[in-house]
Amino acid sequence: MSNLYREELLEHYHDPLNYGVIEDAEVDINRDNPTCGDTIHLTARLDEDDRIAEVKFEGQGCVVSMAAASLLTAEVVGKSPEEIAALGLRDIEELLGGMRLSMGRVKCALLALTALQKGLEEAGR
Amino acid sequence: MTWSGKEVRQQFPILQQKINGKRLIYLDSAASAQKPQVVIDALSSVYSTNYANIHRGIYRLAEEATRQYEAARAKIAKFINAASTDEVIFVRNATEGLNLVVYSWGRSNVGAGERIIVTELEHHSNLVPWQWLAQEQDAELSFIPVTGAGELDLAALPPLLADGRAKVLALSMMSNVLGTIPDLAEIIHLAHAAGVVVVLDGAQAVPHLPVDVQSLDADFMAFSGHKLGGPGIGALWGRRALLAAMPPFLFGGDMILSVRKERSTWNELPYKFEAGTPAIAEAIALGAAIDFLTELGMENVRQHELQLVTYALAELSAVPGLHLLGPAAEKHGGAVAFWFEDIHPHDIAAILDEEGICVRAGQHCAAPLHRRFGIPASTRASYYVYNSNEDTDALVAGLHKVIKLLRR
Repeated sequence: MSNLYREELLEHYHDPLNYGVIEDAEVDINRDNPTCGDTIHLTARLDEDDRIAEVKFEGQGCVVSMAAASLLTAEVVGKSPEEIAALGLRDIEELLGGMRLSMGRVKCALLALTALQKGLEEAGR
Repeated sequence: MTWSGKEVRQQFPILQQKINGKRLIYLDSAASAQKPQVVIDALSSVYSTNYANIHRGIYRLAEEATRQYEAARAKIAKFINAASTDEVIFVRNATEGLNLVVYSWGRSNVGAGERIIVTELEHHSNLVPWQWLAQEQDAELSFIPVTGAGELDLAALPPLLADGRAKVLALSMMSNVLGTIPDLAEIIHLAHAAGVVVVLDGAQAVPHLPVDVQSLDADFMAFSGHKLGGPGIGALWGRRALLAAMPPFLFGGDMILSVRKERSTWNELPYKFEAGTPAIAEAIALGAAIDFLTELGMENVRQHELQLVTYALAELSAVPGLHLLGPAAEKHGGAVAFWFEDIHPHDIAAILDEEGICVRAGQHCAAPLHRRFGIPASTRASYYVYNSNEDTDALVAGLHKVIKLLRR
């Protein structure tokens, strides 16, 4: 079986980090992936230096999108909006354990990151 | 006569390969079908011996290419029982055929306040163009709903026809998700009694069922050649009187009769709708695909798939937590979709891929239908002439592996 379904990622899928909603968050965005119907509701709070203090998400999706979202919520704490804007597919692939994703799974993997980037943009950060 | 799928499978070179050391099991023919050797040979033969542009050259090569291209058109006309060969127009695919009807017939015939009827189970290609037309013309878009059993709720049709505002009814002859085969005879009868033009999306039906546009009494029907074992090409059939009255869709070479600096006149049917150099070799190879299916016999193709789908529905329904979509086998074409509360279709497809099994995961270009059933996506196994019950056995075994890995 490919390393997509190894135990560590399955843990994040079944029991994701930071699952839920932050009330009255500066960043509050819904995104979906129209090809597979995945949805994410992502909220984030910024600290006084305008860096990410906390991110939570809820939604439904495959192992890749849920595990990537779970890992991302931990990874981005303390980062500035500029640093987050600079993140890309390679960074998510690193988070997922250094694999190269097939074309069909790229959108799944990027769902949470693009939601966060878009949400920061919409919040004017 | 039906067959096991194994002998037919031998004629498809791509299916002879192994994936991860396992037999390739192709269950995604509703997206695109694999090609028999005769189709591959036909393509190769055109380019090796007979290729030139059609309807233009005076030399022998061009005349032979033209002859073969037109012979392919005649094969299609016979295959769907068109009243005449010039009712068959080559297009890129069913999508382009449906867009041709919307742009050319729709813009000239559907006006403000008039009604366009579609169904809740349409593929986006037979929904989005009509949405656009409704917005463009300020017309109304109405839907025939789908029942929980995955059938069209035909009780909803007469009220949509009663006030005389309906101009067109566009519907699929077989759902690409639910597999549903609607009662077309009844629907077309009702529509025509109200003076409504019927546009059929034949993308799923034409590869899998005997289709006779005259006995159906349809007005337009579009289908894709690549879904019946041909190359990337499609065809639109239309009733002659309708096509003759329509303005062209695309403009350019070959679709004109005369061109002056300020104005032009249009060529006769079907060339009025075939601007520019068409996919010549693909058209000829589509003719070879139709010969291949004709030799199998379309009634036999249907019986083969009925047997496959009957078996698949029974075996899949025994998989723990699996929910089937769509009607019982006798009203069900080659596409079988299902879903689980706790397992995402992408994960199913990715894990089945490790087993050499190709299925489709997602919304299959039918987002409103998935919303109707309250599910974000589904997994679809779709069958064709080269499949056998062994493929279903492998699919079911694969699903048990998926469950073992992902269910807690």
